[in-house]
Amino acid sequence: MKIKLNRAILILSALMALGFFAAIHAQPNGAGHASDFTSVEYYDAPNEKQMKTRLAGAEAQPLAGGLLVIKQLKLEMFDTNGTLNVVVKAPDCVYDTLNGTASSSGHLQLASGDGKFRVEGDGFLWRRDAAFLTISNNVQTIIENAPMTEKKTTP
Amino acid sequence: MKVFNLIAVAALCASAVRAQTNANTAASSAPRPATRIQSASVDFDMTGRRAVYHGNVRVDDPQMKLTCAQLVVDLPPDAGHPNHIVAETNVVIDFTDAKGQTMHATSDKAVYVYEVQNGATNETVTLTGNAKVENAQGWLTGEPIIWNRANNSLSAMNQKMIFRQNLDSMKAGTNSPPAK
Repeated sequence: MKIKLNRAILILSALMALGFFAAIHAQPNGAGHASDFTSVEYYDAPNEKQMKTRLAGAEAQPLAGGLLVIKQLKLEMFDTNGTLNVVVKAPDCVYDTLNGTASSSGHLQLASGDGKFRVEGDGFLWRRDAAFLTISNNVQTIIENAPMTEKKTTP
Repeated sequence: MKVFNLIAVAALCASAVRAQTNANTAASSAPRPATRIQSASVDFDMTGRRAVYHGNVRVDDPQMKLTCAQLVVDLPPDAGHPNHIVAETNVVIDFTDAKGQTMHATSDKAVYVYEVQNGATNETVTLTGNAKVENAQGWLTGEPIIWNRANNSLSAMNQKMIFRQNLDSMKAGTNSPPAK
């Protein structure tokens, strides 16, 4: 399975760095604040009509020091054929636009599009430059296995 | 490398349950329980294609259970089957062999290696550091003990085998050949 979480996080970082909350569907609510926002990125040609990522959140609030607080973050990544590859959810997230990190003491959920691979934990730090993700506590990984196979030795 | 691949293969391979052998396989449609990995924390290095699970690592799989302090999973560039997994510190593996016999293995370190050469699959788990494999009949120590997943056999260097007769009988220590 080719699920590209690193790319997802990179895109997430890039979108946030670019001020995604001001993008396609957002309801401005005060200076720099957005609620119920959605940002969609499309593939380059020849798949320009195909959604690449869809980033949504309940709130996005810029803070001093280049920080951006995001509530109810949901990031979906799609393949060029429209298949959902990855879903990332975090109730709370702080993105540091200056240092290129995203972090939270809260929960993080990652899942493959088909739901067969799921990882979750509490507290995370993503370092964009190092392409390094740490989940700090209570890490649970679940893999739904393929149907059982029985080995039969060739006579 | 993709994180989800890292995660998935971490579980699938760390548990070393994917007995992809040279033998023919036939799949049934019976659903198989999920594989679960629990740990205190995990680091994903996307550049180095490595996932490191830390602290009270526990792998629960339908065919085996593994616990250790740290589990390191390396993946090949092509995002295929993980070819190198290392479990370290207080490694305990409980599994069932081809005859349905329960095996209990302990060691300081367990190294899982998976490779395909000329169409043949080699899949081994090498136990080192106070390595010991135990079942109802007795136990085997050695340095190292190699569990060949492809043919489900055990071999050991500097081995010592102890056979249980019953709870009240004497235990005999021998320097018998490696277990097959």
